[in-house]
Amino acid sequence: MNFLRAILSILLSLASVSWAAEQDVVPALDTTDPAALQEASRILEEEIKIAARPQTYVLIDLEAKAILIKSRGVELHHLPIESWSASQLSQLATAYRLRERPPVNRRKIDPVAGGEQDPISLADMPTTYTLQFSPPLAILVLSTDGNPWQWAIQRGRAYWHRLTSWCNTLWTGGSPPSSPSLHLTVSSDHAQSLAWTVTEGMPFLIRRTTTP
Amino acid sequence: MKRIFLSLWSGLIGLLLVTLVQSSGIPVSDASTVPPTAVDPALLHTLQVRYKMLAKKLTQLMPTQPYILVDTARNHLYIKRGDQVMLDALASTGSGTILDKPGDSKGQWIFDTPRGEFTVQSRLTNPVWVKPDWAFIEEGLGVPKSQADRLEPGVLGEYALGFGKGYFIHGTLYPRLLGKNVTHGCIRLNDNDLKSVYRLVKVGTPIMIF
Repeated sequence: MNFLRAILSILLSLASVSWAAEQDVVPALDTTDPAALQEASRILEEEIKIAARPQTYVLIDLEAKAILIKSRGVELHHLPIESWSASQLSQLATAYRLRERPPVNRRKIDPVAGGEQDPISLADMPTTYTLQFSPPLAILVLSTDGNPWQWAIQRGRAYWHRLTSWCNTLWTGGSPPSSPSLHLTVSSDHAQSLAWTVTEGMPFLIRRTTTP
Repeated sequence: MKRIFLSLWSGLIGLLLVTLVQSSGIPVSDASTVPPTAVDPALLHTLQVRYKMLAKKLTQLMPTQPYILVDTARNHLYIKRGDQVMLDALASTGSGTILDKPGDSKGQWIFDTPRGEFTVQSRLTNPVWVKPDWAFIEEGLGVPKSQADRLEPGVLGEYALGFGKGYFIHGTLYPRLLGKNVTHGCIRLNDNDLKSVYRLVKVGTPIMIF
């Protein structure tokens, strides 16, 4: 009898360990909230498809306020988000492919002049930039401690674009602009890290927030 | 003057309205989401079971054996097994510089370490570097016709681990440059770390580079 009890307790503890490990797959998840569970499951469904192939991908977790660089479901790098805002958040429900990485000022080697050239480093990466995706989505990455002029110009451009499309909708009486957008504010180091890491065609997933 | 003031004022109001229209930390309100006030225990259980099943599926995709992780921005190579870090080594990765291909107006070599997921394809001891075309062109030299003129022993260290398309994890003659982006795309390590990596990994070990 005692033997059976011991076996049962081992099995139960193993089951609880496995449940805990699986809960960690999606951070900051309230497993008693149906909306949160639905969103987490949606993300997992998409992620399983992407992680089944040998590639790195980005998960923007608006609930946990983090940008995660991942591969095979493993978190490779974690970049915290300071703040975010989005238009048409409910539409951000698919996987997006990055059209091109932010421009990098690469140095050209001149063999005649002696070959050696300064390498590029994280410091060469932009701190404020826009990532364009297919299907249409624009992610504006801003940094609070980066170049304030660059920040103001990018922010102003984004607002201006939104204002003109909003006005167009009003005048023409049509439906609001269909492509969603996301603004992420991160530290300049993290903005540069993201610009460094992303590659053309890289899949991006966005976990939407379900808590007020 | 009044007209300018009025247009500025209306612009400001417009911006304010646009800002209000944006969501910021506002929860998703899909038709598919369930109102939080009426939680049906049966539905909650179904959702929990589905979530658990999907989480398990994702967990099964994670490597169970040791894998190599390379951070090209900070020039570090790690060997990890689950959450455990088995090795943390200072490395050198791609310089990101470019070199024009002679006689090809649009052709260029870009010296980046490739990002993505790869596997160890070969484990070599006492590797000999077969110098590619760019190594000669970069130095302002002509590309040799004979394969024998491309061979350079002793520059890659005692071991090399190939991960495809001519990219290797290998040793270096310039350990003072470890921690910097100076290579043509390969990943350089010091002798001791290279030895440890060689011992810990086998053909098929995943390499995740970001």
